[in-house]
Amino acid sequence: MSTVRASARWIRADLRARRGQALLTVLAVAGIVTALITSATLLEDGTNPWRALFAQTRGAHVWIHTKEAPDVAALSRLPGVEQVAGPYRTAPVTLALGGKKSPVALRGTAAEPPRVAAPLVREGRWLRPDDTGGVVVERSFAEALSLRIGEPFTVTALNGASHPLIVVGLADSADQGFYPEWTPGLAWTLPETLTRIEPAPGRSESVTGLRLADGEETLPAVHGAVTLLDEQIQRMSTWREVRASMELDNRLLGLLLALFGTAGLVAAALAIANATGGRVLTQTRDIATLKSLGYTRGQVFALLVAEHGALGLLGIVLGLVCGRLVTTFALDGLPILPLSPVPLLAITGGTAAVVLAAVALPAWRGGRTPPIPSAPAAPPRGHLSRLARLALLVRLPPALVLGTRDAFTRRTPAVLSIVGLAVPMMMITIGLGCWATLDDFLRHPERVGQAAALTVHPGRLPAEDAARIAGADPDVLAVYPGSEVSALEPEQTRSVLARALGTSGEPYPFSVVEGRMFSARGEAVAGQGLLDLLGAEIGDRVRMTVGGTPLIVHIVGRVVEPDHDGEVLSLGMDSLAAKDAVPPQFYGLVLKEGADPAAVRARLLTASGEALEVRRTVNPAERLVVIRLVIVALTVVLALLALANLLTASALGLRDHALDLAVLKAMGLTPRQVAATLVTGTGLLVVLGVVAGTVAGASVVAGLIDLQGHTSGVGAGIGRTPSAPVLATAAGTVIGAALLVALIPARRAARAQVPVTAR
Amino acid sequence: MINTVNLVKIYQNGGVPVPAVRGVDLRVERGEFVAIMGPSGSGKSTLVHMLGGLDVRTSGEIWLDGKRADTLGESAWALLRRQKIGFVFQFFNLVTNMTVADNVELPALLAGASPREARERREHLLGALGLTGRADAAPAQLAGGEQQRVALARALANRPSLLLADEPTGNLDSRNTRDVLGLLGEVHRDGQTIVLVTHDARVASLADRVVSLLDGQIVDDGAVRAPRRRPRGTAGDVVELRG
Repeated sequence: MSTVRASARWIRADLRARRGQALLTVLAVAGIVTALITSATLLEDGTNPWRALFAQTRGAHVWIHTKEAPDVAALSRLPGVEQVAGPYRTAPVTLALGGKKSPVALRGTAAEPPRVAAPLVREGRWLRPDDTGGVVVERSFAEALSLRIGEPFTVTALNGASHPLIVVGLADSADQGFYPEWTPGLAWTLPETLTRIEPAPGRSESVTGLRLADGEETLPAVHGAVTLLDEQIQRMSTWREVRASMELDNRLLGLLLALFGTAGLVAAALAIANATGGRVLTQTRDIATLKSLGYTRGQVFALLVAEHGALGLLGIVLGLVCGRLVTTFALDGLPILPLSPVPLLAITGGTAAVVLAAVALPAWRGGRTPPIPSAPAAPPRGHLSRLARLALLVRLPPALVLGTRDAFTRRTPAVLSIVGLAVPMMMITIGLGCWATLDDFLRHPERVGQAAALTVHPGRLPAEDAARIAGADPDVLAVYPGSEVSALEPEQTRSVLARALGTSGEPYPFSVVEGRMFSARGEAVAGQGLLDLLGAEIGDRVRMTVGGTPLIVHIVGRVVEPDHDGEVLSLGMDSLAAKDAVPPQFYGLVLKEGADPAAVRARLLTASGEALEVRRTVNPAERLVVIRLVIVALTVVLALLALANLLTASALGLRDHALDLAVLKAMGLTPRQVAATLVTGTGLLVVLGVVAGTVAGASVVAGLIDLQGHTSGVGAGIGRTPSAPVLATAAGTVIGAALLVALIPARRAARAQVPVTAR
Repeated sequence: MINTVNLVKIYQNGGVPVPAVRGVDLRVERGEFVAIMGPSGSGKSTLVHMLGGLDVRTSGEIWLDGKRADTLGESAWALLRRQKIGFVFQFFNLVTNMTVADNVELPALLAGASPREARERREHLLGALGLTGRADAAPAQLAGGEQQRVALARALANRPSLLLADEPTGNLDSRNTRDVLGLLGEVHRDGQTIVLVTHDARVASLADRVVSLLDGQIVDDGAVRAPRRRPRGTAGDVVELRG
C-alpha cells in the first residue's frame, strides 16, 4: 500500500512530463485495436452476412415445407421452440423477364409484418392491405434480375395463366440463401393475391419457420417435427445451410487482415518496447535514486510495468470504444453487427498480453538498475563504427560523419528502431502490393482467366443466330462457344465443373501459368483447386466422367481460376460429347481493348430484340473493394507506430549526445551543423529501416499473394509487386516525413543552452 | 550504531581486480558525526555506499544497530534504507519530474506514512530549511544550494537513524556550502548520526571525528577539536592532532 502511494506520485509526475509520448503510445495501441476489431467485424460479417440478417430479421432457425398447413400449436410445443413463423402458403410460379424464365417461390404473407422472420425492407415499402397487385422481392433475386421498384413482375402459374404484378419493395431475408446460389427466388405477396394466382391448394405448399431458444440445438426440434408431421414434410432446412450458402469466398481478405493485424501488433509491441526501453534509459538516474530511497528491484519493475502497461491498457479501452464507434457509424448502411464476444475477447486479451510482454522486458532491465545514482548512464563510447569510418573516408561534411557515428552508439535501441520502422514499412509495401494486384485484376482481367467480359446465352434464339449477332458487333474481338457440364472425379464422389470454351484449334485465351494450353482433343487445363482435389500434376492423365461420358483427360497446364475455388476443368468444345457441345450453351465474348462492356451489352440486346441473355463477368476485385479501405486505415495506424518509434530514437539520440553537443559547440560547430548531426543520427536509422522494410515487403508480397491464391484454389500467378515509382514515392514520403519530424527536436536542442555538467 | 569488520571491496575492471576498500574496521557510535576524508580514488565513496547497501561488499562484515547487514539481499537492504538510512549525494539526485514537495514526501510515503503525515513532515522540514515557498517548484528551477537543501530534507523525511552524505558540498559554492554544513550541524546537535564523505578539510572540520582514507585503508582516525578555539595553528599542534 505504502509503495502504491509513492509509485502513484512518480507515475503522475512522469506522465505529466511526457504527455505527448504517452498520448502517442495510447493512440498507437488504440489504433491497432480499432483496426483489429474493425477488420474482425468486417471479416465476420463479410464472410457471413447471415449473422446480421438473422439477428435483424429475428429469423427462424428451422424451416419446414409441408404439403398442407401444419398444426402450429403442436409445433410450438416441440423442444426448444420459442416462436413459430407462418405457416405461409407458397406457390411455385415462373417469372418471365427479358426473355429469361426464372422459377419463383411466391409466398403469401399478411400486410402486417410477422414478428418472427420478418423480411427487412431495404427499398420501397412492405405490402399494404390493398396491394392486391403488389409484390415484395428478395433483394439478391431482384439484383440478379436487375429488378427495380415499380417495375412489372409478371408471373405464370402452373396452370399457364399469366398475372401481372408490380414490385413495391425489395427486402432482405434470412429465410433462405442468396440467389442464384439458392433457388428458386423468393417473393412475397398478400394471401388473397396468391389465392388468385394459384387457386389450387394441391399445387402449393406450406412453409413454417421455427425460432429456437438455442440456435445450436436444432436436432431436437428437427426430430420432433419429423415425428409430428412425418409424411407431410416435403423438405426442411436449417440456419446452417442458409449461412453456408451466404458465405463468400473471402479468404484473401481474411488472410490479409490477419497478416496486417498481426504485423501491426508486432510493430506495436516493438514501438512500446522501444518507447519503454528508451524511457527507462533516459531515467536511469531517477530510477537509481528511487532505489537509494528504498525501492526494491521488484517494486521498480512493478512501477514501470504499471506506468507503461497502463498506457497500453488505456489504448486498448480506447480502441474498443473506437472500434465500436467505427463499426456502428463509419460502416453505417451495411448490415453489420457488433463483433461476437469470442474474437472480441481474443483481441483484447491478445493485445493486453502483447503490451505487457513488450513492457515487461525493459521494466525488468529498469529494475536491475544499480542503486548508485552517480554511476554514469552514458552510452558506451569509443571507436567510430565502420559506417562512420566510411563516411569519414568519402569526406562527408563533419555533421554527417558525427551523425553517422551517433546512430549506432547504442546497438540494441538502434536495431529496435530500425526493425520498428522496417515492420510498418514492410506492411505498407505489402498493402501497396495488394492494391497493385487488385488494380491488375481490374486492368487485365484476362490475366485472371476473365478474358471474356461478356457471356451471351442464346435464350430464345438459335445458337447460330446468337453467335452471328455477337460476332457482328464492332467491339467484339472474338466469340468462343462454350458449354458447362459437371464432371465426376475418378472416385466418383464429388462433381466439379467442366467448362468447355473455344476449341482445341482455337482455344479461349485462358491464363495459363504452368504447362501449356490444350491443343488437341482430350487435353485440358485445370485450376489449382482441381489439381489439389485430384492430387494430380501437370502431364497426368485422369479418367473422368464429363457430362455423363467417360473421358481420359490429359491435363497439360494450370490456369488462374477465380471461380469455384479453382475446382474447374477447362477444355475444348471438341473434347465434349456431341450432345453436350451442340449447340453451345453460351458464347464468351472477348472485346476489343477499351470497349465498354455495358455499351456492347446494350447493343447486343437491341440487335437481338431483347432475345439474348447477356451477362457481364464479375471481376473478383469488385468483390474485394473493402480491402482497399482496410489498407488505407491500417497504413495510418502503422504510420503512427513508426512515428512512435521515431520519437523514441530521436529522444534517445538527444539524451545520449546532449553532453557531446556542448563539446561540439565549443569546437565551433554552428547550431545548424549540430542540428544536422542530430538529424543524421536519427535519419540514418530511418533510412535503413525504411529501405529494409520496403525491400522485404516487395520481395515477399507477390509470393504471399500467390501463396494465398494457391491455398484458395485460384492458383499462383496473380500476385503483383507494386511498381518501382510507387515504392520509391512511398519510401521517399516516409523518409521525408521522418526527417521533418526529427528536425523539430534537433533544432530546439541545437539552440538550447546545453549543460556542461551532469545536471 | 555501525561497525565494520575488515570490510573489503574489489572491483573487476575488464578482468583485472581493482581493490577500492582494503580491510576497513570502522565503528560509529550513535549521535556521532564522522567525516571520512581522503583524496580522489581513496575508496571513501565506495565505503559509504557499502554502509548504505548501495554497493555490495567483497568480503568483511557490516553491523547496523547490532544486526549483521552485509548478508542482506538487495530487497532487504532497500527496506533497511527506507527505515533507517538517509542519503545525500553530491549531485543532489532529486527526481527531475517531481516537484520539491513530492521529492520530500516520497520516502515518507514509501515507508508507509499516510499522505497527511507525509505532508506535515514535509512542511515542517521545508520550513526548517527555509524552502517553504519552493514546495511546488521543479528541481530544475532551483539553485544548487536549494537543491541540496531539498535533498537533505528528503534524506531526513523518515527520521533516519543514520544519515550518509557523499560529498554533499562538492558541487556548491562557498556560501551554499556554509549553509548546508550549518544545517548538517543543526541536525547533528539534535542527535542525528552522520557519516559524511568529503575531500575538503574545512568541511571535515565540522565533524566530531575525522577518518582519513588512503588507497582504501584507514590511515588516520581521530577526534577533531574545534579549530576556532585555537587562534593560530603551529607545527606542534599538528603533531598533537596526529598523536
